[in-house]
Amino acid sequence: MNKRDPQIESELSERLRAIDVRAPQELHERIGMLVAERTATRRRPAGWRLQLGGAVALAAIVAGLLIGVLGGGTSSKLTMRETVALTQRPATTSAPSEDPRNGTELAVAVDGVPFPYWDERFGWRSTGSRTDRLDGRQVTTVFYINQEGQRIGYAIVAGKPAPPVKGGVIEWRGGTAYRLQHAWGSEVVSWQRAGHLCVIAGHDVSPSALLALASWQGHETLSA
Amino acid sequence: MRTLDPQSLPQHVDRLYRAAWALCGSREDAEDLVQETFSRVLSRPRVLQGDDELYYLMRVLRNTFLTGLRTASRRPVTAAVLEDVVAADPKPTSRPEQAIEVQELYATIAELSEDFRLALVAVDVLGLSYREAARALRVREATLTTRLFRARKQVAAQLAPEVEHVEETTREGKKAGGVLSSGGTA
Repeated sequence: MNKRDPQIESELSERLRAIDVRAPQELHERIGMLVAERTATRRRPAGWRLQLGGAVALAAIVAGLLIGVLGGGTSSKLTMRETVALTQRPATTSAPSEDPRNGTELAVAVDGVPFPYWDERFGWRSTGSRTDRLDGRQVTTVFYINQEGQRIGYAIVAGKPAPPVKGGVIEWRGGTAYRLQHAWGSEVVSWQRAGHLCVIAGHDVSPSALLALASWQGHETLSA
Repeated sequence: MRTLDPQSLPQHVDRLYRAAWALCGSREDAEDLVQETFSRVLSRPRVLQGDDELYYLMRVLRNTFLTGLRTASRRPVTAAVLEDVVAADPKPTSRPEQAIEVQELYATIAELSEDFRLALVAVDVLGLSYREAARALRVREATLTTRLFRARKQVAAQLAPEVEHVEETTREGKKAGGVLSSGGTA
């Protein structure tokens, strides 16, 4: 093959152009949801709270797609990939409100482990939540958005012991190990709270920002 | 000048997935790359200056791919090992023989140097014109042409032994067939 062989090269080009492999259905669905979500976000006026109906409608639209992904509410495999995927899906219920008894928490919890209220401290407000089942375990996800329109999902897996997670880089904050990973197109931080696996994931959000949110315990963000 | 319509993007998922697969050499990484590319594109309104959407997506795909490579090279531990590995879709195509060929072709492309790989993917996998590909990759058209030629040559060379073997077998088969045929008529 020292000389140019037009026949082989043109055949190669033709072979490459003839390939008609389709992307996995799950990827199509994830992109479809991303488009639906971003389209809805852009149409949202300043009074976002008024858009709850729209969010619920969006959730209804994608519900059919989710049936395919999650087997219509039946158990899917509990993996980090699936858990992170949940943080990228749309909310199915309205935004949980701040716990009136505790200004650092939302009024929603999993096995007594509450979701944080970050609006006042970090400017991340909750926009909705969803509940799914993976391997028979309930996974509750609360979605947050900031003023720049960045969105993250915070998932807590019910039941103990927490499923083991491997890989990534460990960062210690206040005696807790936070695992940082870049996977499936997202920055991901996972750790345990009261024996429960917690996962925060988002696109275009730095790992340090996620770590600061994850390690916040209602007063100051813990330093290393 | 027009604003990119997010609703029109899903139609490009398959082509972008093939391009990402050829760039990464792995279907799992390709999925991540495509998702990240769309996520970037959708993060804010985009204005296209008379350009084709696919050209624009290729540009973002390239940037995302290169950023990912650089970020990965800085990261001390890169692999996100799962406690449970979900098996990749075993049937990316309905034709098993094509699946093997695709896997082999894309794996060969993924071994090319970065510049050659991007050139080949932009033109032969994604189907951009030379002009569009050159602009998407931010190189001159002449540079793209050279890279594309070299990339094709390298991939063809990698796959050549198989081709030569097949040709040889065919020649031998013809010879054998000739003898039998002669004998038959005699």
